[in-house]
Formats: sequence, C-alpha cells, structure tokens
Amino acid sequence: MTDVKVKKESTDVVDIENRIKELCQQFPQGITDQVIQNDMPHVEAQQRAMAINRLLSVGQLDLLRNSNGLLYRLKDTQSASKMKGSDNQEKLVYQIIEDAGNKGIWSRDIRYKSNLPLTEINKILKNLESKKLIKAVKSVAASKKKVYMLYNLQPDRSVTGGAWYSDQDFESEFVEVLNQQCFKFLQSKAEAARDSKQSPMVQRNSSFATSYEVWKYICELGISKVDLSMEDIETILNTLIYDGKVEMTIIAAKEGTVGCVDGQMKLYRGVNSIIQPTGLVKTPCGLCPVFDDCHEGGEISPSTCIYMGEWLDF
Amino acid sequence: MTAQEARLCGLLLREHFGEVVEKVGVHLLRSGTLNLRALAHETSTSLDLVKKCLCVLVQHGMSKFGPGRRGPAGPVEYQINCERVLYMLRYPRYIYMAKSLYGDTGELVVEEILQRGQMTMSSVVRTVADRLTQNMEDGQSMDYNEVINAFSNLVETHFLQRCPPVDSLGATVTTTSSSGTPESSANTTPQSAQPESHPDCYKLPQIHLSGRGKRRRSSGDAEANDRRAKRAKLENTEVCGDEGIYWQVNFERFHLHFRHQAIISAVASKLDQTSSEIVRTMLRMSEVTTPATAAYTQAVSANEIFRALPPSYNIARPILDQYLTLLVDDPMEFVGKTGDSGGGMYVVNLHRALANLARATLESVVQERFGSRSARIFRLLLRKKHLEQKQVEDFAMIPAKEAKDMLYTLLSENLVQLQEIPKTPDHAPSRTFYLYTVNQLPTARLLLQNCYKAVSNLIERRLFETKENKRHLEKSQRIEAILASLQASGAETAQLAEVEEMITAPERQQLEALRHHINKLDSSENQVDETIFLIESYINSAASSR
Repeated sequence: MTDVKVKKESTDVVDIENRIKELCQQFPQGITDQVIQNDMPHVEAQQRAMAINRLLSVGQLDLLRNSNGLLYRLKDTQSASKMKGSDNQEKLVYQIIEDAGNKGIWSRDIRYKSNLPLTEINKILKNLESKKLIKAVKSVAASKKKVYMLYNLQPDRSVTGGAWYSDQDFESEFVEVLNQQCFKFLQSKAEAARDSKQSPMVQRNSSFATSYEVWKYICELGISKVDLSMEDIETILNTLIYDGKVEMTIIAAKEGTVGCVDGQMKLYRGVNSIIQPTGLVKTPCGLCPVFDDCHEGGEISPSTCIYMGEWLDF
Repeated sequence: MTAQEARLCGLLLREHFGEVVEKVGVHLLRSGTLNLRALAHETSTSLDLVKKCLCVLVQHGMSKFGPGRRGPAGPVEYQINCERVLYMLRYPRYIYMAKSLYGDTGELVVEEILQRGQMTMSSVVRTVADRLTQNMEDGQSMDYNEVINAFSNLVETHFLQRCPPVDSLGATVTTTSSSGTPESSANTTPQSAQPESHPDCYKLPQIHLSGRGKRRRSSGDAEANDRRAKRAKLENTEVCGDEGIYWQVNFERFHLHFRHQAIISAVASKLDQTSSEIVRTMLRMSEVTTPATAAYTQAVSANEIFRALPPSYNIARPILDQYLTLLVDDPMEFVGKTGDSGGGMYVVNLHRALANLARATLESVVQERFGSRSARIFRLLLRKKHLEQKQVEDFAMIPAKEAKDMLYTLLSENLVQLQEIPKTPDHAPSRTFYLYTVNQLPTARLLLQNCYKAVSNLIERRLFETKENKRHLEKSQRIEAILASLQASGAETAQLAEVEEMITAPERQQLEALRHHINKLDSSENQVDETIFLIESYINSAASSR
C-alpha cells in the first residue's frame, strides 16, 4: 500500500514538475505561485513545494523576487550547460554578476549579496575568469575599482567613459583638438556667410550648421581613431557653448531628415563675444594673485608692487 | 559704503581738493552724519578750515546738510555723498564725451563746470571764450555767441542742468559761513534731492552778453596787465541777467549716454554694424520719453524706426524688418518685440542688456585671471544654475582632477558658491548633495569692490611715482621757467642750450620713463572705471527692478 502510494506520488511529482516547466515556457517572464495553484488546483501545497524545490535544486528553475511576491522562471539551458561542473557557490556568484548586466558589479557588492567570505569570492572569480565566463573591467569612475560582468557583454558607457577615455584616462587633448576643430568649422561657415553679401536673414541662416554636418566634417577629417557618435560631437559642441563661442538653436524638422532626432534638429553657429576683455583685467591688479593681501604700508603694497613695476616698464 | 570705497573717496578728495578736505571728507564718510562742531573737534582741525572744506564739498554737490536729529532747533548736520565723490573718477570720461558730442567748446564748458562744481552761464561763457582765444592764432578770437550756442545745446540735451532752487543755496551760504549761530538756518528746507523736480531745470536764462574772448597779455606788459585787471573788475560787475542761476553737470544724463554706448557697442560686436545703428536709432528716439530707471525703452514701431534711420545708411524697409527679427531672435535679447501694430512694436531691453553686459564682464574676469577652462566651468554654472562636481566634469569635459582644482580655486575666490543639501539631518558628507552655483548679483558686487581697490592701488602708485621723482620734476620745471624767461628777454641760442644741458641725459631718461608710467596708470584708471560703470549700472538696475 505504502509502496504504491510512494510510486504514485513520485509519478505525480514528475507530472507536476513537467507541468510547471511547461507553464514557465508559456510565460517566459516568470510565473507566480498563484499561477501554478490555479493551474493545478488538485495538487496539495506540500507536493507543489516539493516539486519546485527539486527543480530549483537541480538548477532548472530560477527563483526571483519582484514587487508582488516570488516569481519562478525557467533557467536558460545555455547558462545551465556552461555552469556544468561548478558548485553552488560558483553558480550563485555567476548569477549575481549576470544580474548586474553591462554595468558590472564590484567584488565587495558581490560579497554583500552572496554572504560569502571575500577570499572565497576571489577564488571563485578567478575560476570563472579562467573559464572565460566573466571578465573584469576597470571603471573610469574609480581607477582602482574593478567591476565584473559576463564575458560576452559590451561594457556600459558609464564604465568605460565612452569615446573620451582610453585605458581609464580621460583624453583631454583629444577633446581639446575636437573642440578646436568644431569651432574652426563653425567659424569658417559663419565667415563664409558674412562674406556672401546676402540679405541679413539669409546670412544668419547660412551660418548655422546642424550637428550632423559637424559630425560628418569631423569624421571626414579623420582625426579620430575611434568612431564618434553624433551625441559625442554634441557634447563637444556643448563645451563650445560653455566657452561662449557658439550658440545653439533647436528647430523642428521632419522625421527622417538627416541629423534629425525626435523631430528636432540642433543648429550651431559661431558667434562673437559682446565685449572686449574688461578694463579691470587690463591692469595688474585685476590678475594679481595676492590682491587680497595688498595694503598700503604693508609687506605687499601698491607702491612697492613688483608686478606693477614690471608692467609699467613694459 | 565699504572700506574700499572710503579709501578711494579719500584718495580722490586728496587729488582734487588737497589733504585737509580729504581728512574732513573721509571723517564725514566714516561717521555718516555730523554737525560742524563735532566734525571740527573729531578731526582736530580749526573751525575755520572745516567750514572752508564743507564749502568746497557743498559747492561740488558732494555734501548735503539739513536739520539735525534733534529737530529743526538742533544744530545743522552734514552728510557726504559717497557716490558723488566717486564720480570724480569719471571726470575725464565726461569731458571726453562732451568733446566727442559738441567739440572743443563743449569740452571746455563741461570741464569748467566740473572743476568749479557750479557756475553761472555768463561766467562759463566768458571763461571758455577766453580760454579758446588763448589757444588760437594771433588776431583771432572766439565769439561769445558760439560758446552760448554750445552751452544751450548741452542744456537742451539735458547734459547740464540748473542747481536746485536758490533759497536752499542761499541757506548753504549762511550755514557754512555763520554756523556759530545755527538758529539762523533752523528753517532751512532740506535740499531737494532731485534737481529735475524743479520746473525750470532746463530753462535757459536770457543773458545779455556779447563780445569776444580776450587774450591774456604777455607778462612783460605790466601796465596793460594792470589795465586789464581793472577792466575785468568792471566786467565782473556788469549785469548779465543770470545772477543767481547756477548750472551743474547732470551726471545721470551722462550715465544714460554711457549706458547706451555700451549697449550699442555690444550689439555691434555681437551682430554687426548695421544692427548697432538700428539700436542706436531706437535708443535715440526713446531718449527723452524713457525714464532713467525703466527696464525697457518706450516701444517704437518699425515704421518710426525706418523714418528715423539716418538716410546715409540706406537700409531698405524689408531689410530693416529682417534686421529687427534677427535682433529679437538673438539669445542676448537686446531688443524685444511687444506687438504687431505699425509694422511691429519694438523695445530695447535695457536691464536685460545690462545684465548680459555684466555677465560678460564677470566671464571675462574669470577668463583672464583663471584661464579659459575655468571660464568654461564658470559659464556652465551660470547657464545650468546648480550642478554637482561630477556633472561639472562631464559637461565641461575637463578631467576630474583639473576640474576639481579649478572649481575649488573659484570657490575660494568667492566667484562660485557651494550649496549643501543634506539627505539626512546629520549633514553627513556621504549623504549630502554638494551643488555648485554662481550668483551673478553678489559676484558682481564683489567684483565692484575689487575694482575700487584696483583703482585705489593705481592712484596710490601714481602718487608714489610722482613723489619718488619729485626732485627731478621740480628741477625740470625750474629749468623750463628759466628757459621761458630767457627766451622772452631774447637770449642767445648758445645760452639757451647751456641752460637746457642742466638736465643730464639720465635725468631726462628718468623723466621720460615717469611720463610713460603716469600715462599708463592714468589710462588704466579710466579703463577700470569703465568696468566700474558697467557693474554699477547693472547693480542699480537689478535693485530698481526688484
């Protein structure tokens, strides 16, 4: 009697397991306990729990937590096969790194999430790295901080810093060169417009260049080893705005026009400053590094000022 | 009033009126309001001297007096107007402006009035005509009528105005000369602060003055000189019909003109010459109708602008419309559009323009002093208002280390401010946002103080340079005097050369260097004053629009 029961139960369990897997395939984003219950109203809670536990332990099912409770999801077989021959701890760490996506995760954060000792984690990480399952990427935000991510992922811009970084170093010279080139382009355009002797409206309009035009110019110049996107060029153009050398206007454009993003087109043009260097900075006092310490009769005083003396004899 | 302003006021008073006036003036500045006896006691100057000092200050409109705190029966109290004292720094600019608008005659008229504080029209005309005649070739002289013309032009354009009514001026005389009996001035009406409130402010009196400028005789002709002096005395008693009507320079009007010049030149360098001419026309049209503190000029229609444009510019109507659209579209917003009637109504945004100019000035100071990358950070903060350090680095595309350095330098110079926003009440740094920002108005005030200090330093240095070379200067003056007298008495050239050689070559070199230094310092003072003017106008406009 008991024997029969056990046997029946075991077949039941297998049935339930298969049914759960089917359900999971139907809903690739995951199913809740409620879904399983509704599907198999006749199965007792205990049996259901056993089946799920078994699936979890053999690594066919993933347990996830979201806002409305626990979710079960089928583990993709690929990763399951990759993880062949690894122990549970390794799997856990791999899972944590996988969850971090292309932003990567720091080893200390892995420790917090996994509750494993650091030495253990380091061993596992080394292990995984040697299997080429994960890779370590140096973050630009903190040069000594390594983040881990899956081997096949392209690191996020926030990690590598985009086009402006090579080996975690900000390429400030590269940025300056691009800055100057963009300005030169816009300036020559503005000058050509000014010399065209057309009506003022036409003159202004022809002095504008879209970010696409600037991008194309820079690409054709071939000064960049890396491929620059239009956003990259726009950030460069923005620095020119902050230099007070360039103005930007946004106009509406028909979707599909070249250089048009979300129905908008950014137009840039080189402009002149409204004033000459102001009078104050033409005197030595306007630039003096010890201006605040200067008093008549003091150690530093206008009468004995060496900067002033040199300036007067200039 | 700040310490820097007081220092500059003191230096200016010393330069123009001497050390006693400086002492009294600075003491009055520091203490605010004082009566005569307290002033004399605290400066330990004799009563007589203090009276004379106050006379000078009142004459130049730098000092005010009125019934004291103890009511009309108490002693009269004096105040000094710091702003007015600082205008002395701008005298060269007023004079230059008068010269460029009304020629040499206008220049001399303004110069004379500035030097004496206030004058009657007839005496201005006489002095200026004499001075002009002096510089003319022999046999020519200046007609009084020409000077009267220039004078009335200046009055018509409000560059000159009448001093406040005579009764209060009369009171000035009595109080300053007989303050031993303060009761006499007890019923003094406080001087009206606004001379423009007086209806006859810009009304020219009828004066009966004709003739030509006189040439001063050479000093050898003693008898003629004597006769001339007698005649001069006679002339002075001659009735011209404008006794008691004194004129002063209308500083506000000059400042308006400076402000318009600044706006016009800003438009010229931002857009082009033609646009600046259009703005000039707009400003000229609304000059009389717009009050001095208004944020916008009176709106004018495109038709009116078209008619008022100088014909030499030859701008066609459609082109003008295009230019106006461009001006309105420009992000600096010098010109605004208020309506569509009459081909479009346009105004000049005076306050906006001043704010933009002041911002450009601040940017230029940062740029010159800390480099263009710091200026980039500064502009970025001006534009985006509040930013975290990381954001600054990203937007400005400056490596973190350098950006941090620049940001902290700017912060320590008070050009950039830091705002903490704690997420928790304990202000723990790890849970706090640190936002950097630039407050334009306080930064402008800071810069203004720096300007005052810079000008004071320049004046101080100039005085020092003159003092150092005093001996050389005196010697060269003495020798020049000897040369002049020898020349007059018809000495031989050899004798002249001998006297001339009394100044040795190194001495001559030193004098040359001194002249170079003084010129440089002088022109720098004027340049800094331009910055001062711009920032002051901006601060005033910001205060009045609040």
